[in-house]
This record gives sequence, C-alpha cells and structure tokens, in this order.
Amino acid sequence: MEITDWYLKSFDEWLRVGPINGLITIVGLFAAVLVLGGLFALLRAGPKAAVISVVWGLREALLDVARLSPRRAWAVGLLTIKESIRRKVVIVFAVFILLLLFGAWYLDPASVDPAKLYLDTVLTATCYLVLLMVLFLSTLSLPADIRSRTLHTVVTKPVRKSEIVLGRIAGFTIVGTVLLCLMGAVSYVFVLRGLMHHHQIEPADLELAEKTWSEPWEAATPRPPLRLRTTRVHGHRHFIYIEPVAKPAAEGKVRSEYPAEGSISTEMEAGHWHSFEYRFQRGPDGRARLTCTVGREEGVFQARAPVFGTLRFKDRAGKDADRGISVGEEWTYRSYIHGGTAAAAIWTFEGITEDNYPEERYPQGLPVEMTISVFRSHKGDIEKGVLGSLSVGNPRTGETVLVSMFPAKEFAVDTQFIPRKLRDKQGRMRDLFTDLADQGRLEIWLRCEDPNQYFGVAQADLYIRAHDAPFWLNFAKGYLGIWLQMLVIAAFGVMFSTFLSGPIAMLATAATLVGGMYAEEIGRVARHELYGGGPVEAFIRMVRQQNVTSEMEPGLRTTLAQMTDTALEFFLRIVAAMLPDLGKYHFADYVAHGLNVSGDMLAKCSLSVLGFLVPLFVLGYLFLKNRELP
Amino acid sequence: MAEIVIETRNLTKVYRDFWGRQKVRALNALDLDVRRGEIFGLLGPNGSGKTTTIKLLLGLLFPTSGQAMVLGRDATDVSKNQRIGYLPEESYLYRFLNAEETLDFYGRLFNMPRQLRRQRTYDLIEQVKLGWAKRRQLKEYSKGMTRRIGLAQALINDPELLLLDEPTTGLDPIGIREMKDLILDLRKQGKTILMCSHRLDDVQDVCDRIAILHQGELKELGRVDALLKVRDVTEIHATRLSTQACEEVKQVIERHGGQVLSIGNPTATLEELFVKIIRESEAHPGRRIRADQHEADESGNGHAGDAQRTA
Repeated sequence: MEITDWYLKSFDEWLRVGPINGLITIVGLFAAVLVLGGLFALLRAGPKAAVISVVWGLREALLDVARLSPRRAWAVGLLTIKESIRRKVVIVFAVFILLLLFGAWYLDPASVDPAKLYLDTVLTATCYLVLLMVLFLSTLSLPADIRSRTLHTVVTKPVRKSEIVLGRIAGFTIVGTVLLCLMGAVSYVFVLRGLMHHHQIEPADLELAEKTWSEPWEAATPRPPLRLRTTRVHGHRHFIYIEPVAKPAAEGKVRSEYPAEGSISTEMEAGHWHSFEYRFQRGPDGRARLTCTVGREEGVFQARAPVFGTLRFKDRAGKDADRGISVGEEWTYRSYIHGGTAAAAIWTFEGITEDNYPEERYPQGLPVEMTISVFRSHKGDIEKGVLGSLSVGNPRTGETVLVSMFPAKEFAVDTQFIPRKLRDKQGRMRDLFTDLADQGRLEIWLRCEDPNQYFGVAQADLYIRAHDAPFWLNFAKGYLGIWLQMLVIAAFGVMFSTFLSGPIAMLATAATLVGGMYAEEIGRVARHELYGGGPVEAFIRMVRQQNVTSEMEPGLRTTLAQMTDTALEFFLRIVAAMLPDLGKYHFADYVAHGLNVSGDMLAKCSLSVLGFLVPLFVLGYLFLKNRELP
Repeated sequence: MAEIVIETRNLTKVYRDFWGRQKVRALNALDLDVRRGEIFGLLGPNGSGKTTTIKLLLGLLFPTSGQAMVLGRDATDVSKNQRIGYLPEESYLYRFLNAEETLDFYGRLFNMPRQLRRQRTYDLIEQVKLGWAKRRQLKEYSKGMTRRIGLAQALINDPELLLLDEPTTGLDPIGIREMKDLILDLRKQGKTILMCSHRLDDVQDVCDRIAILHQGELKELGRVDALLKVRDVTEIHATRLSTQACEEVKQVIERHGGQVLSIGNPTATLEELFVKIIRESEAHPGRRIRADQHEADESGNGHAGDAQRTA
C-alpha cells in the first residue's frame, strides 16, 4: 500500500497550501462564468445591456443566496426523500444484502489476510453501490421535473432556485446517509461474524501435554518448550509454546519444569493470535489434568495510529542525499539504499519524550513498525531474509547507537521495540529520552547490512505505533469517506441536471466520477510526471510500439506532437484542478490495512469537500436561475 | 379606476434555436392591463400566444423585449409569487404524492406554519370534493380529479391574483359548471383572475373583459358584454304570455316599424340540462326515467324553460 503525502501531511501544513489552490480555482471558475455570460449578453444586446445584465445578475444572485429560506429548502429536500422512497430506492439495500450473501461464498477466511479481504470487499461494494445510486437519483430527478413540467408548479411558488438546488442536494444526501448507515451496520456485523472464530486444543496434543508435564526433567540441557496445536478453523491453526522454568540441580544438571498455570498467547497465524490460559492439576489418581481456554482472536481488527517522521538519506559515501537509488519501476514511491555501504535511510521524529511515551504504557520501549521492500541484486540465501540494522541517533550531536540487527520481513509489518536504555560501542549506557533524543527529536537509522542487496523505503514505511484507535470507529470513518464521496457526486449530479437533460447529466456526472477516481493520474499526466510524454506522444509510442523511456526521434512530427501535448497538458491541468480527487476520500485501504484515519485527515477531506460543494451549489443555482421553463 | 394588477408593455417573446436564430415570434408587443377584482380572459386559437403570455407573467420565460409587471413587481421577481396562484394547463403535480401531501408540500413552499397548512389542506380538499380520495397517490387520479387538486394547490396561499391556464380542460360538465361557479365566487371575494382558454362559452360565461390574440398579436380588447352586444336587435324575455298576447306584441312591434325575427319558446343549453339531470339523480338515487315522461320530453313539454323569447 502506498501512503501518499495526503495522509502524511498534517491539517496545519495542508491549510497553508490546499485551500489557497482551491480558492484560486473557484475564483478562476467564476471569473470564467462571468466573462462568458457577459460575452453572451454583449453579442445579443450590446455593451450597455451586457454590463447591466452582469451587474444585475450578480446583485440578484447575492440576494437570492442571502435570502435563502432553510424551511423551503427543507420542503424540497423532504420531497426528494419521498420521491426516492417511492421510487423504491430500498432496492439498492436489497442488492447490497444479496451481494453480501453471495460474497460470503467467495470470501475465503483462510486467506493470508482475511480481515483486509473482508474490509476491502464491504467498503468497496458499499462505495460503488451508493455512488451509483446517488448518480442515478441526482441526475435524473430535476430533468424529469422539467420535462414533466412539475417544476412549473413549484417555481411559481415563492421558492428560490437556490432553495431548489440546496433542497435537492440535501435530500439525496439524506437518502444516501440513511442507506449508508444501514449498509455500514450490516457490513460491520458481516465482517465480525465472518472473521470471529474459536479454536480448541487438539485432543492428542492435550493428552501428550498432560503426560509430558508429569514427567520430571533433570539433564545437562534445558527442556524443550511444551508444544500444543489448536484445531484447524478457517483454514489455519496456531501453535502454543509453554516455556519451562529451569532451576539448577545437583551435578551441574538443570531441572526444568513447566509452570502449573499461566496466561500466554498463541503464535501468530493468518495475521492474528489468541490469548491462551491453562492450568495443570493432579487428580486423585495422581495423573495430570490440563484445563485450558483459547481466547478470542486478537490483532484482526485494529486501527494503528502511526506517528510519522520525516525521511532523508545518506548515499553510499555517507553524504546527505534527498533520495536513495532508483532501481527502476518502483522508484516513483520508494527510494533504495545500497547494502554494505554507508547508505542509510534516516527518519527524524518529533515529540519523543518520557511524557509522551511513559514506561507504564510502553514497557517494552518505543514501538516501531516498518515495512521494508527488498530488492535483491543477487539471489543470496533465499531462505534467509536480507540483514538490516536499526540504530537511533541524536540529531544534534550525530551520536548513533545500534538497536538491533534483523532479517528483513518482506511484504509484512515488522515490529521492533527500541528499549529505554541502550549500550553504545564504548559500552556506556545511554538513555533514549535524555541522551539520544534532543528536545524530543530523535533519529532512527535504517541500514542494509548485506552487501549488494537493497532496501526500499518510503516516508510512511517506518513509524512509531503510538497507540491504537478503536476499530469500530475506524470502520465508521471508512464509511464517512464514502459519505464524503457521495456528497460530492450528489452535488455534481444536481449541478449538471440544472442545465443538461437527464441522460447527458448522468454521463457528465459519471465522467466526473471516473475522472475523480483517476484525478491523481490525470494530474501527473498534466504535470508531465509520467514516462512516455503527453497524450499525443504516448499515442505515437503506442502505435509504433516504442518503449516509454527512449527519446523520440527529433523532427517536425515530434516537435508538433510535443507542442500539442503542451497545449493539452494545460487543458488537463484545468480539468485536474476542477475534478474532485475521490481517491483522497476513499479510506477503504487504510481501514483494510488497519491504519487509523486521523482527525487531521478527516478535517482535510471535509474542508476540501466543502470547497467543491459551495461552488457547485452556486453554479447549479446560476444555471437553473437563467434557464427558461417553456 | 381600479388598481392595475397586471401590466405588460410592448411585451415580446421570440423563441430562438441553439444558434440564436429566430424560430418563432410567439408574442409581439403586447400591451395589456388587468385591473383588481376582474376576471380577464385571454382568447385565441392554438399557438396564438396565450400560454406564452401567462408564462412570461409567471417568470417561467424571460421576455425578449418589453416588460411585464405583476402586482407592482417585475415578473421575474420571485417575491410576487407569495400573492399569486397558478393552475397550469395540465396539472403538473408530483404523481407519487397523495392529495394531502401535495397540498402540504406547496404550503411549505409558502413557509406556512404547520397548523395553518393542515387547516388549508383540509378546507381545500373539502372544497374540491376530494375528501374520499385524499390518501390516494395522484397517479391513481382521473384527469378531472387531478385538475381539481391542481386548483386546490393554486389556492393554497389564498392568493390575490389567480392565473388559470385552460381551467376547464379535462373536466366533465358538472366539473365545468363548478369550476365556473368557483371562479365567479373567487371574484366575489375580491380576487383578480386571469384565465386563458379556447373554450369560448367558458370565457363568455365568466369573464368581465377579454383580449383576443392571434399569431402573437392582440386583435381585440374590451368588456365581454360590450363586445358581444348586437346593437340593432332587441331582446324581450317574458313569462306566462298567452298565444293571443304574443300576437298582440308582434303587432305592436310591426306598428312601430320593427321587424319580428322570431317568436317562440327558448331552449336551455345542453349543459343546463345535463347538470339538472345529474343533480336530480343525486337527490333521488335509484329513480329511473319513465317512458311517458320520455315521450313528453320529446314532444317539447319537458325540461325546456317556461319563458318565451321574442327577438
């Protein structure tokens, strides 16, 4: 999963840039509307009438928006809700239930990460269904009113066009919200019921454990741990190891005994583990009896709230660098560090203090999680992970202390704890918070220790797992993301339907929806960030089966293609600026990967959605106001 | 002179195509005044500009040139709608709502408080005699029922000015009579009514003044009685006149140099006959027509009026 700047940037940071860009777009858009309206009037009625109509129109618009009556808007909203209900919108919910019922056949709880699969499926299915429903309802309703002339009877009452547009948007939003709440509740139960399971201990293992526990052990070597297996449920089983307690005995031997009772955890399997409580007791016949319970699954439903740091690099020679090495295709997101050299990826974290990470809450030390991508330049020992090291450093003094050496886990989250007390090369004890952190700033260094192998990292690949948010709340936030997308689509649908016929408005909104899902990509094409050039150049390459990185042959054709691309890219920039980047409001990936959707993220998304709603409402109002109803 | 409620000056509407080329001149320089308290009829064949005029007055269409003022405000000003009621050509209503919901919805658009909305809804449903079907969705309504609920929504705000587009279309004779009675009743309440129709008898029955439009131009304007008066013919209505007396009257007319065009019993209109039969049937359900009565009717002694008309 790629975590973009959108997730990483705090609300304050974004506030300095995002809204300004949005405002520039909105002002530009309205300036264009005014100029076009003025030109139209100029051509029709001459310069004096054009000025009068623009000024009068502006005055009327301001008055209409200012005198908007929430009660009348609500009347239109209520009508919209009734209309949706009587048009059997509840069918969408029935389709969703059917999808879940059939989906349950194909969702395999025995897969590698079943929680991700389940969450991804329900959130994506809900998203598509709700967006499609709102797309249909919002684009067809107003044109149907205009065609059947029911709008004539409405607009001849003292209702303002602004109230009609607002009421319509509000009505569809309420219908979608109710439906989304229902779907959310059903999905939550579906996910919980699909993934909750219960294991027993294999009867054979139980018997063996009872026998082994009774046998005394006194030998030169310590006793191996007592192994139990759980029954296979949902395609997996867990192993449980009860560690013996060793006591010195006579003749240099060790006496090992398993504890009579305890509360431990099973080994992790399929992305989760269970708590395990056991108790050995001797019966009247002298035989041992084991009573045990395997608890509920843990680690399935989580919402990690990461604290991210800023990332910089050291190159092979140990000099500062902005990025690591490119190894090709993956360069766009991750940067690579060369193993066995001075190259390192360094994250700098803020707020690393004793107050923020008290010992009571973090007894094992600072919890660090990382996902490392490994790029092997030679096969090496394929059974073993590529070796890496983690150090902590003081950003002011440059002192670094090794924390651990570890084999990199590929495609999985690796958790490491940085202890409070660390021993440096000279053997001195260093305190994490007082000696290594400088006023709360701490560096974490990652190195690849295997020569000629590479570690690939991005800023979000290493973070401090400060705490976890409640899963249900994160699940609800996932639905809030869909709600925000729905709001934008409803507003676009209503806006388009104020001046286009139903099917055309639907096409326009569908194009916005699809464009919005790929807004990021369109932006990258417009900014010339993708290989293969602009649209025309890419087309020529495709036709001529030319690869995307080699230079085009110089000549008139290439010059013409690139000039056309420059013009098209300018147009694409405008389109990208006006398209809602729906991917940003789609939190399904975060919820499915167990990452908490932060308050900052919600604030950013809500404000940017508002940035769409207001101009869409005003545009819809202007179009409807200036539309004749013959 | 009564206050002017509707005023159009040089009101012109030209329909254009997508490229701005003139398609049709639907209304040409219309000058019209409608005064408070009168029933004004717009007459004309199909495509003469009646509905265009009403839509321009309602602000549904924008004039190409000229001006339309309604209740002292520009026709495109939304606030004028607070005091007007509009019954469209066909009752364009939400078919998924029932009668109560329909009136409640339009009441809400006037920001009416709930209590008042309920009261108006109840009164109007009773007035248009739809109490028995008030919970049925409008898609189940007949054309006449839809027309009646359409009229109820036009009256929801107790308007000063009513614009009625073909108010009697789709109604049965009883409905037509009731609609006309209602229009006259509304005038008694001091309301101003502008109606357009191509049913000349309707207009003649209820309108005080009329304007006749043809091809978007005003062709005639004035009081109905004045316009229809045949100045060289005299009409006398009398009752209980014997045949001999009739002969004497005829002689007196001829003695004074006049010419008797016809003398005899007047006939009622078919509408009057129909309304009378239906009302009698409602008063005495189950009673059937007798054969001898039927024959008497055929011989001319039945429902015809008693008055003799001399012209």
